[in-house]
Amino acid sequence: MRLATVFILTLLLSGCTDDDQPVKDPYAFETPSNFPSPVYTFENNPVSKRGVELGQMLFYDPVLSLDSSIACANCHQQAVAFSDPVHRFSRGVDDAAGFRNAPAIQNMAFQNNFFWDGGVKHLDFVPINAVTSKIEMAETLEHVVYKLNRSSFYPQKFKAAFGGDEITSQQMLYALSQFMNLMISANAKYDKYVRGDEHLTAEEAEGLELFENKCRVCHATDLFTDDSFRNNGLDASFEKDSGRERITEFEGDRGKFKVPGLRNVALTSPYMHDGRFNTLQQVLDHYASNVKNSETLDPVLKQGESLGIRLSEQEKLKLIAFLNTLSDNEFTHDKRFANPFVK
Amino acid sequence: MKKIFSILSIAILVTAFSACSDDENGSSGNTLVLEFDNVVGTSNLVLNTSDQPYTNDHEEAFNVTWLTYYVSNIKLKREDGTVYEDKIKSDGSAGYYLVDEADAESHEITLKNIPAGDYTEVTFTIGVDANQVDQGAQTGPLDPANGLFWSWNSGYIFMAIEGTSPVCTEEGNAFAYHVGGYKEDPENENLINNIKTFTLSFKGDTAPVKADHQPQVHIIFDVLKFFKGTGANISFASNAARHTPKACEDIAGNIEGAFVVDHIHAD
Repeated sequence: MRLATVFILTLLLSGCTDDDQPVKDPYAFETPSNFPSPVYTFENNPVSKRGVELGQMLFYDPVLSLDSSIACANCHQQAVAFSDPVHRFSRGVDDAAGFRNAPAIQNMAFQNNFFWDGGVKHLDFVPINAVTSKIEMAETLEHVVYKLNRSSFYPQKFKAAFGGDEITSQQMLYALSQFMNLMISANAKYDKYVRGDEHLTAEEAEGLELFENKCRVCHATDLFTDDSFRNNGLDASFEKDSGRERITEFEGDRGKFKVPGLRNVALTSPYMHDGRFNTLQQVLDHYASNVKNSETLDPVLKQGESLGIRLSEQEKLKLIAFLNTLSDNEFTHDKRFANPFVK
Repeated sequence: MKKIFSILSIAILVTAFSACSDDENGSSGNTLVLEFDNVVGTSNLVLNTSDQPYTNDHEEAFNVTWLTYYVSNIKLKREDGTVYEDKIKSDGSAGYYLVDEADAESHEITLKNIPAGDYTEVTFTIGVDANQVDQGAQTGPLDPANGLFWSWNSGYIFMAIEGTSPVCTEEGNAFAYHVGGYKEDPENENLINNIKTFTLSFKGDTAPVKADHQPQVHIIFDVLKFFKGTGANISFASNAARHTPKACEDIAGNIEGAFVVDHIHAD
C-alpha cells in the first residue's frame, strides 16, 4: 500500500513538472522580456548547440594567439562578467600592455557598437581586433585558420557545426558570435524585480529612483546604455586617448567613449575606458565633484552652475545598493559559458 | 592493347572534361567578361621593378609594389535601357571581386548566364559598402583573412597601392595609400564614406552578348590618373603613408576618373 502511494505520488509529481515547465532548449536564443530587440544578423548565422559549443572552445583556447599563450578568456573572465579583474590594461602576447580596459562581454546580440570607440559595428568582427592586435594576441586570421585546419579535433567539430571540408575564418567568427550571442545576462535581482518576481529593499528602491532621475539619460533601457558616445568629463585634454575621434577623425568626437552597459557593474572593476577607478564609490565621486570641462564635455553634465551630477553621500550609497542588484549570479556561473577544457 | 586502352581512356577523359565545361557555359547562359587592365599613363604596369620607371605629375619617380581593389555591384545596361544586375550573396561568395595586379587571373571578371542583348554601359562600385559589411563575417574574396580588413576601425581596404619613390620620407622610401571607409550613420555625418559607384559608357560601341559570342569589355585603370585627378594631385614627398578613411578622402576622389572603357572585343 505504502509503495503504491509513493509510486502514484511520483507519477503525479513527474507529471506536474512535465506539464508546467516544458523543457527549454538551453541553446536557443531568446530575448529577455525586458530587453529591446536584438540587432545581430541571425539570418546569416543562427545559434545552434554545436556552433555555441565550438565558440566556447575557441573562446578558451590560446590557439588564437601567436605563441599559444593568450585565450580570449585570459582578459574576459566569467566570474566577473567576462571582464578583466586584475588589470587596468590587459596584457597581451609578450606581456604587451594595451591602452584601454577590457570591457565585459554580455548581451552582445543587442549592441550596434563595439569597443570603447565604436570602431567595430558588427559582433562577427569583434574577435578580429583581439586576434590581430599586436598588443593582444598578435596573430593573423590566416594563420589561426591554418592552425585550426591542422588540429586533431577542430576540423571535425567545424564540419559538424557548419558543413564544408575546410575551416574558414567566417566559420570561426560565426562560432565565436554564436557563443557570445548566447551570453545574455538578464537574471539579476533587478530583472526579477522588473518581472514582478522579487522585491527590492528600501535602499535599493530609492537607489533605482535616483538612477532613473540622474543616470538614465545615458544608461538607457534595461541594457543600461543608449549605445552613444559621450565625453563624461574624466579629463580636460585627450593626448593619451582621443576616443571616438580615433574612428571618426572628427574633432567634435574628441574624448568621447561608448556609454558602457551597467549590467554586473559591481563585478567589472576597474572602471572607465582606462580603468582609472577601482570602486563604484570613486566613479560616483567623479560624477559628483570631479567632472572636468572641455569643448566636447557632454551637455547633460553641464547643466546648472556646477559641472557633473549633484549627489549627496547618502544618495551615492543608495545608488551603489541599486547597482549591486544588477549582478547576475546565474550568468557568472552558467556552465554553457565556462571553460570546456576543465572538467 | 594496353596502349589502345590508355589512349581510349584519355579520349574519354578529354570528352568528359570538355563536356563539363560546355555545360558551364551552356546555351542557356551567355557570358560577358570585364577585363581590368592596370596601366601607368602609356606604359603597362609592371610590379616590383628594381628601378623607378614611372613619373607622377610632380616629376617624382616611382615604382609600384602592390595594387589591388574590390569591384562590386556590377550592373550592365542594354541598348533598350534594361539593366542586368550581377547577383550578390550576403556571405560575400558572389558579386564581389578582388582585382589584384599580381594575380593575372583576377584581372578578368567573367559574368555568366547573362541575358542576350547589345550592352552599352557598365556601372560598378569600387568598395565594399555598408549593406555588405553589416552582414557580418564574409567568405570568398571578402574573407578578412585575405588581409584587406581593418580590425580596429572595421571595414575593408578597397583600393590599395604601394610602391617606392626617392622623395618619399617614409621608411624604405615606401608610399602606401590604403583607401577604406564605408560607414554611414544618420546621426553622425562626420563618418567618411570613400565608396565610389560610377558608370562607364562604351562610348557608342556595343558589347553584343549572344550564344557563341562572349564579348570582352576592356577597362583601363590608370595609376597616374589615380594620383592626379579631381580629388587630389598626390606628391610622394609628404603624407605618403595613409591608412585611415579621412586621410584617403582626397585621393578617393580620383578613383572614378582613373577608370575608362578603352574598347570592346566583340568576341
